[in-house]
Amino acid sequence: MWLGVWLAVLGLFLGVMIGLNVPLILPSIYAHYMSVAVLAALDSVLGGIRSAMEDKFDNGIFLTGFFSNALLAAGLAFIGERLGIELYLAAVVAFGVRLFQNLAIIRRHLLKRSYVIKEENRLSR
Amino acid sequence: MNKTRFLSIAVVSVVLGLMLAIQFRSTVASQNKNAGVPFDRAQELSVEMRQLEKERDALQQEAEDLTNKLNQANKGQAQALQAISSELNKVKMMAGMLPVKGTGVEIVLDNGKAGAQSPAENLFAVRDDDILKVLNELRGAGAEAISINGVRVIATSEIRLAGTFINVNLTRVLPPYRIEAIGDKDILSSSLEISGGVVEYLRSMGIKVSLEKKEQINIPAYAGRNRFDYAKPI
Repeated sequence: MWLGVWLAVLGLFLGVMIGLNVPLILPSIYAHYMSVAVLAALDSVLGGIRSAMEDKFDNGIFLTGFFSNALLAAGLAFIGERLGIELYLAAVVAFGVRLFQNLAIIRRHLLKRSYVIKEENRLSR
Repeated sequence: MNKTRFLSIAVVSVVLGLMLAIQFRSTVASQNKNAGVPFDRAQELSVEMRQLEKERDALQQEAEDLTNKLNQANKGQAQALQAISSELNKVKMMAGMLPVKGTGVEIVLDNGKAGAQSPAENLFAVRDDDILKVLNELRGAGAEAISINGVRVIATSEIRLAGTFINVNLTRVLPPYRIEAIGDKDILSSSLEISGGVVEYLRSMGIKVSLEKKEQINIPAYAGRNRFDYAKPI
């Protein structure tokens, strides 16, 4: 569990470092797609953490979900732009709601765990 | 199994970090670039400024030219003659009486279908008003001298259907019609090729249009009659 968290933090740091040092600026036309993709990816990561807490973590589901969600969100934004409908809003709403839900469930798991630890400490004393 | 799990976590977090950083940087960059002003507006203003600067330069040059001439005229007979001849040259150039050269564009209009060549018969043939449209656009974009198949177009030139042919300066021109114009070649070509513009319209009418920017275009002098029977200076 903690090794995974440290790996995630380290990877995030590495990615940010690479992103800041690569001399590549996304043209503003694509910024739209990237922003929705980032949101989708963030949602998948939170979903992964949640499922890890519920002991239901599946590597395949996590990986495919991460990439397919990001691609789907960017694709929705792309299609929306072509059709003249702001379809990326659908992605923003859907992933936004799920982000909050996942966060709430993670919070509940953490709270429950801390209660359990307190109880154990109380009992052992 | 745990190993692959950690690997996937690491990969995903690296990708996520990369995406976040790139998105962050492009957002910051786009905000800095505009500094609060919409990009289109800034571009528009800079184009306008360039135009005005060019105009100002031209006017300054003209003023200098005229004061020079005035000075020369004040100096003496010989200089006065020279000034008059240079002024005359300028007027001749304006009237199209001198062959000129310079940068510009060449537009070739050709009938869409081979065979029946006459504009009166063939639906897809180039018509006199097609050529007029191109000419109008060129003039509007600041063309300084124009010729059609080597016939100089001047202020009194006509372009009209005469029987089954198109006449310019009472001279018969035959397809393909090669229209040459001297001027700023970028402005000329872009004003013709703008979407919804003349070139697109002509192509949609089934006319073969080719447009080429050229560094050197030679346009001959007006070769026709030049007499005023009725108009007299006031």
